[in-house]
Amino acid sequence: MALPLLVLVWRGARHLGTWLGVWDIALYSLGLSSLTSLGCLGVGTGLAWLAFRARLDPRWDTLLLPAYLIPPFVSALGFLYTLELLHIRPYGVGGMVLVWVSHYAPLAYLLLRPTFETRLGPLLLACEVHRVTGFRRLRALLPPLFPALLASWGIIYLAILGNYGVPALLGLPAGVYTLPTLAYSRLFSPLSSSPVGEAAAIGMLLGLLALPALALTPETSGEPSLRPVLPRRVGLAQASLSGFALLGVLLPLLGLLHKALFNPYSGVWQPAFVEAWALPLVRHGLLNSLGLSLSTTGLLLLLGLALATRPGAVRLLRRWLDLSYLLPGTLLGLGLILLLAPTALYATPWILLLAYVLHFAALMLRTLEAGLGGGIERLVQVGQLFGLSSLRAWWRIGIPLLRPYLAAGAFLVLPLALSELTLSALLYAPGSETLGVAVLSALSGGLFREAAAVGLILMLLSFLLLFLPRRVG
Amino acid sequence: MLRLERVSKGFGKDTTGVAEVSLELGPGEILAVLGASGSGKTTLLNLVAGVLRPDRGKIFLGQADIAQWMPEQRRLAYVFQDHALWPHLSVLDHLLLVMKQANRKEALGLLEQVGLGSLENRRPHQLSGGQRQRVALARALAAQPRLILLDEPYSALDPVLREGLRLEVASLLRARGVSALHVTHDPDEALAVASRVAVMSQGRVVQIDDPARVYAQPATLAAAQAFGRLNLLPVKVSGGRVAWGSGFIPVQGIREGLGLMAFRYENLQPQAGGEPGRVVEVYAGRGEQLCQVALKLGNVVVALEATLGSTVELAPSGLLSVFSQENPLDKS
Repeated sequence: MALPLLVLVWRGARHLGTWLGVWDIALYSLGLSSLTSLGCLGVGTGLAWLAFRARLDPRWDTLLLPAYLIPPFVSALGFLYTLELLHIRPYGVGGMVLVWVSHYAPLAYLLLRPTFETRLGPLLLACEVHRVTGFRRLRALLPPLFPALLASWGIIYLAILGNYGVPALLGLPAGVYTLPTLAYSRLFSPLSSSPVGEAAAIGMLLGLLALPALALTPETSGEPSLRPVLPRRVGLAQASLSGFALLGVLLPLLGLLHKALFNPYSGVWQPAFVEAWALPLVRHGLLNSLGLSLSTTGLLLLLGLALATRPGAVRLLRRWLDLSYLLPGTLLGLGLILLLAPTALYATPWILLLAYVLHFAALMLRTLEAGLGGGIERLVQVGQLFGLSSLRAWWRIGIPLLRPYLAAGAFLVLPLALSELTLSALLYAPGSETLGVAVLSALSGGLFREAAAVGLILMLLSFLLLFLPRRVG
Repeated sequence: MLRLERVSKGFGKDTTGVAEVSLELGPGEILAVLGASGSGKTTLLNLVAGVLRPDRGKIFLGQADIAQWMPEQRRLAYVFQDHALWPHLSVLDHLLLVMKQANRKEALGLLEQVGLGSLENRRPHQLSGGQRQRVALARALAAQPRLILLDEPYSALDPVLREGLRLEVASLLRARGVSALHVTHDPDEALAVASRVAVMSQGRVVQIDDPARVYAQPATLAAAQAFGRLNLLPVKVSGGRVAWGSGFIPVQGIREGLGLMAFRYENLQPQAGGEPGRVVEVYAGRGEQLCQVALKLGNVVVALEATLGSTVELAPSGLLSVFSQENPLDKS
């Protein structure tokens, strides 16, 4: 899995001159990703603090979850259509930041809320009892949160830096490039003397900008502690969470619904699903996306089962695969193009399948690792202490206990693979388009209502994750 | 049944798990391994279980050296502090899974014996802490092991439940003639359940004997400290005697020089001509009253019926031990 990245570096290193011409876009990407991720962190932290102080039930978290589950490019499409209704054209940086904040602030909230529960409860209680207020309270509460804040910022920064869909939809029409869209443009540019080499060099630059954030690994938050803190500002917290959910889900949904269901020319109810289905691109996209996501999930389930009895291997492999999940997908896509272009795999759905497996394997292995870390490995060992053979102990104890974790991994991978765009946009070939590619192609072909219909389907499919088993959700 | 010969296991350069441990456990015997946290007792248990391999030494189960055997080859059973029950299995399935020949009738009989007669279909999360510990014990017995290892099995239970259950379990193990190696840091538990006690300190077994004898005549300061209820007074020994009250008392341990005199709360009793002291604190205990008495040599706690502020004269009820301060592990 490191091979595509190594090939990318090897090829990109011969075109480092490309960097001279794109340094301004690199700086722009860096600034935009850093500041937007800080903004997302600020909003998410604020919401998590309000929910924590109000002692809101964890069920309130579900309200923010859908905003994060919608694929960013579908959100972008939805915002685009909603704001157009208000005669606002959200092309450019403003629109991109709006979509990213609506998508990644909930992620910051979801990452930080458990940390608040485990870390801040006793500390806040001690502050209240000992009348520590104002700046002194910040001094008592902030330092223990720093590692979690930094790790959350790192995750969001990496996601925004590598995001392709939002800048493709909202940035390119306004002439705003980020490194992923630039790499994509160079790769397919007829003017470039060495498109692949230049794209690889830009990919390297993207990797360099991503590297520091990779060191900020997320930490586990542990069990919630007892925290008899009185609820404060319950109404404000509930209103804020509801308001944000409204912004993140209802606004894009409204735009997609309006565009997909009403014909602006005739002004009547006329769902665009039939027209969308009539497009071969959409049919191919749906079938390919379904096939790819199901195959990826199936293969990763098999991998999970095969590795379940080797917790050490799971940990090691997950650490490696994290690279291909956390690093911008553009890097993996370009690496695979460079690696497999001379083979028969290139320009077939198989290269996409390989890319999906490499990209999403970390998610499956993480859920598996969560299960193994939750004591399952020890319970299997207990079986062996009682005389059960290793195989029998895993079969009777390990696998049944891991089943919900494997299911959770499948639930995570399936919708994400179904709506994947960054890898698909780089690696698809005629006949192997995915739903994401279909949306982009429909848009560039002026089929806005059909794109909205497909976006709506993708949005609904992404809500599958809401049914993720609670214990690993 | 079980014999350890000079077994050692280290964890890195500076940490010794167990060092040169030798001990023997007879058929049907319950041996308690007593020691503070970090003394090496759980490492010892894991070496016997096969979860760890010794760096040196031999572990015999019967006639076979099992030191290099896999855990599943040893035919042992383990009762864990946190029960380590399988959450997806019913109480009955816990027993059936570990039986050599799954026998439902026998398993139900065993559950009846440990007081879980009507709970065979429950899952662990549907049981109380005490019931879970009973399942853990029933599972251990169902495996028909050559030896049961118990790792602080009652420490997760409340004190009242713990007292009742440990006596019940000890009776059950004795009735079935099962050998057990019982690790604990609770001296009361060791005294209540074991036929012999091995005291561990810094990875070594510092004394192994009848529980009452280890309590009354500890061979080392560490062994004395393992049981608690201990006073330590710095004294000067001269000719095997220590100045006490208006005279001298004979002591065992060192014959000359400075040392720590160790004695239990009940080892001093009121006696005319003894060391005078004033009662400075009174504590209510279970079935006894404890007083802190200020003696010339220092403050001591004594099991005594006296009132706060009163003056008492105390003398030892038996031979007291004095240990060297240089090396608390060795009896000087």
